[in-house]
Amino acid sequence: MGLIQTSRVKSPWILHFDNSSCNGCDIEILACLTPLYDVERFGMVNMGNPKHADILLITGPVNRRTARVLKNLYEQVPDPKVVVAVGTCASTAGVFHNCYNVLGGVDKVIPVDVYVPGCSVRPEAIIDGVVLALQKLATMR
Amino acid sequence: MIKQFIIVIVTLVVAPIIGGLLFGIDRKITARLQGRYGPPIIQPFYDFFKLLGKEHIAVSKLQFVWIYGYLVFMIVSLLFLFMKSDFLLLVFLLGFAGVSLVLGGFSTKSPYAHFGANRELLQILAYEPVLLLVAIGIYAQNGSFLISEIFKQDKPLLFSLWPLFLAVLYVLTIKMRKSPFDIATSHHGHQEIVKGVTTEYSGPYFALFHLAEWYEIVLLLGIIALFWANPLWVGILIALAAFILELLIDNIAARMTASWMVRLSWSVGLILGIANIAYIYYSKGVS
Amino acid sequence: MMAIAILLPVAAGFLILAVRNYYARAAVVVLTALILIANSVFFALQGPFTYTPGGFNWGLLITFLDFAILIFYIYIGFSLRNWLVLIFALTQLIPLAYFEFVMKAHIEVTPAFVIDHLALVMTLVISIIGSLICIYAIRYMYDHEHHLHLEKSKQSRFLFWLVLFLGAMNGLVFANNLVWLYFFWEVTTLCCYQLISHDKTEIAIKNAARALWMNATGGTAFICAIIYLYITQGGAAALSMQNIIGGTLQGSLILLPVALLCYTGCTKAAQMPFQTWLLGAMVAPTPVSALLHSSTMVKAGVYLVLRLAPAFAGTYLSTTIAMVGAFTFFATSALAISQTTGKRVLAYSTIANLGLIIACAGINTPLAIAAAILLIIFHAISKGLLFLCAGTIEHQIWSREIEDMEGLAEKAPLTTLITAIGILSMFLPPFGMLLGKWIALEAAYMVPLAAVFFVLASTLTIVFWTKWLGRLLQVLPKLRWPMEKLSSSYAVPLWTLLIGIFVVGVGIGPIYQNFLLAATNNVVSGNQIISLGLNNLVLTSSSILQTEILGVFPVWPLYLILLVALLLPLLLIGLKPTELRQVYMCGEQVGGTDTDEWLAEADKKTKFVLGGYYFQDTLGEKRVYPWANTVAILLLAIMIGCGVIVI
Repeated sequence: MGLIQTSRVKSPWILHFDNSSCNGCDIEILACLTPLYDVERFGMVNMGNPKHADILLITGPVNRRTARVLKNLYEQVPDPKVVVAVGTCASTAGVFHNCYNVLGGVDKVIPVDVYVPGCSVRPEAIIDGVVLALQKLATMR
Repeated sequence: MIKQFIIVIVTLVVAPIIGGLLFGIDRKITARLQGRYGPPIIQPFYDFFKLLGKEHIAVSKLQFVWIYGYLVFMIVSLLFLFMKSDFLLLVFLLGFAGVSLVLGGFSTKSPYAHFGANRELLQILAYEPVLLLVAIGIYAQNGSFLISEIFKQDKPLLFSLWPLFLAVLYVLTIKMRKSPFDIATSHHGHQEIVKGVTTEYSGPYFALFHLAEWYEIVLLLGIIALFWANPLWVGILIALAAFILELLIDNIAARMTASWMVRLSWSVGLILGIANIAYIYYSKGVS
Repeated sequence: MMAIAILLPVAAGFLILAVRNYYARAAVVVLTALILIANSVFFALQGPFTYTPGGFNWGLLITFLDFAILIFYIYIGFSLRNWLVLIFALTQLIPLAYFEFVMKAHIEVTPAFVIDHLALVMTLVISIIGSLICIYAIRYMYDHEHHLHLEKSKQSRFLFWLVLFLGAMNGLVFANNLVWLYFFWEVTTLCCYQLISHDKTEIAIKNAARALWMNATGGTAFICAIIYLYITQGGAAALSMQNIIGGTLQGSLILLPVALLCYTGCTKAAQMPFQTWLLGAMVAPTPVSALLHSSTMVKAGVYLVLRLAPAFAGTYLSTTIAMVGAFTFFATSALAISQTTGKRVLAYSTIANLGLIIACAGINTPLAIAAAILLIIFHAISKGLLFLCAGTIEHQIWSREIEDMEGLAEKAPLTTLITAIGILSMFLPPFGMLLGKWIALEAAYMVPLAAVFFVLASTLTIVFWTKWLGRLLQVLPKLRWPMEKLSSSYAVPLWTLLIGIFVVGVGIGPIYQNFLLAATNNVVSGNQIISLGLNNLVLTSSSILQTEILGVFPVWPLYLILLVALLLPLLLIGLKPTELRQVYMCGEQVGGTDTDEWLAEADKKTKFVLGGYYFQDTLGEKRVYPWANTVAILLLAIMIGCGVIVI
């Protein structure tokens, strides 16, 4: 792997976006950043800014309002990027799939690379999902 | 002439490596202080190369101008330090670099960049007087603004300029973007206004920002090392000690407001600086 | 040649009054400008000389015109019911009448005009920059009157006073006879009054009157100094400037009149507490602000102080003058941060830089005097450029407010570029203003408190300039910014001044070595600036034991770096449409990249509004004026006191 490919794997910066989740998955994502799981030792940093991100961690089902926000943020993230749908709601809308305002999982709006099921997702599962995403990132351009 | 050329090349190549390693050590020690493992020491280089490989996007053509201005003038200031030239002009060139960064934040109509740029101006307002007073203090002590003169003195500057040294520690906290002064933009994990000045920068240009920061940390530690220039290794040790001190302060303190920063810096920093220079003026007279 | 410098503008002014046609008038102005510029260059090439005009009783004419002007002021005082104007016209008229008629002072001062290198520098600045501004004024006044829908054109009157003023300034810097200097001084005050009140609105007349009485206090001090010198030194020899500064007069007794003359200089240069007249003068059309209130007339004030520097060298008076200037530099820089109108920022910045020049004159070492001369030149170019830019911007967006200038980069890219370079040239290396400030700081340790004020003020200047430039650049993401068209009457002066910044800046080494050094030596002898090979400027300390190097400034390497750093990215890096992205607004924008609306609560479309920071609670005029004016008045009182208590 070239220098830039290695660096992409070693330095994945995260954008964490909550569509309309119950915050359960969001708390688990934040737990990953705490000293107990410490994803920063893999170089993962939560940048609050799409322009600085490589990996989008999306939680919650997509509804009409967050659809346009999600699209806007996705377009601001420069390539190469991977999208990880964290939680059952982000993957398929979970228990909310019948609601009148819910469009479905994240893949209704943007292309998803990794689905991490769970309600709410365990931090170990999130880390597994991100590692899968990194493997995909390493093969991109 | 050859010697100068070698200094330039060495500075250009070696300084960012040292800077990057320092930032890596920064993250490692911070992590350990927080009870975690932290990333490897060469993490900043991974970040840098990853950013270089990102897609080239921008919000304005002016962004390129100002980030290159920031980088180039930072390098020029560092070269002034290593070529032992005029200290006052070094501070002014550093000021140009700071202004370039602010204008980079202003180069589009973005709310977070706007706030960040204004706050960065307040940071400049806080630390610039101290740096200029250090220049005058050096002149008061040595009779010249040239850095080469500092190396010819017997007694280290620290003995006569220790109040200014304390004030410079404030400057170091502000310029290293450490709490309580990480107001305009900040390093990983500390955000108040998204990324402040650097919000709209991405990919290769954000990488240039990091590169400029690596040059900057070497410059700042070099300025601190000047306070004990003979023998230089003592100065370098003092600089590294100051660096570790900043990490400690960062992990203890919370971010404060911009107006508090300006008021603190102008009161404490100026009092220390003016008292120091006044003492030297009255004890030594005018040469 | 002298006649061309002083009398040609007068004649041209009257010709302009007579001509009604716009193009004929423009031709007269341009022709006068070109002749003046050529004349001043010819002067410079010829070198210093002295001159006493003969063949006509010029002294009588001047006295007659003096009284005419003062009586005119009294008339203004009555007609405007402005008692201050009236009082200070009387305080000049009565002593002058006493001097002329009762004391029957027979003033034959030879030589009447002394043109040394300092005067040559001043006349180059006046002729070149002043003429460019007059050319600018041609089109500017035309647009100005169009915008105001005036029925009767007053352009002739405006251009008359503007051109006449150039002649008066030339006379001022050449004069050796103090009484004649006083006359030219009063003519500039008169031009100032006429030009500020040009629009004849209530506020214009009020501000013009304020300028008049404040300058009249200076005129009063001038007359008192003349009379004091005449009485104590006995005779006309005392009224020769060269004698005053040359040390042939009794040293201890001349400090008081010198202090009074420095007070006069301070009023003309709008130092604190007189800054309100300059601020008020900003209501006038922009050429007035550019010519009178930044490049030229206010330079007469600092020129007087600089000229007198040898007379007060080494005294406490010198130190207090340095403090007056340094404090003004600091206080007005702080005030500039809180101003929301572009021209007021420029006005405060002008006063600040004048304070710096006066402080350098007060520090009174060869290095400081060199700094003062460099600052005079570079400030005239850069500030003149900035005022012209402000006027051009005003005629494009019809507003003077900085907040309205937001995003000017897309509406008027060319003007923004010129303004940006102008702003950067005011406070950043390697430009000349910073060179002057750098030298001043390196020299300032003589008066350490002044050095501290310089430090604080330098920092404050960074804030307000960067803030303003930033507002100009804030544009939503767009690829194409179509260039606007600028009339040549605007474009020629703007581009000339811009090129001037670079030419004089890069060539400052040789220019100093061959020309300005002599000007410095006119004031204080001893060279401390050496221009080395690669255009390095090396400052040396003036210790007798050895020549130490104080500091080094590599001039053209830094300009090269500036070009590489800023110009190359602008030209070489392109931006494709697919690479343009929206700004980050948490994803809430309405449409494409250049939308300025976002969806707020309940998906309500809201306009995206940004505001600049002005800190008016801490740095606004209401907060700063009380203490700053008090300190300034105290400092001025101490300054005059140092002239009385002779040390």
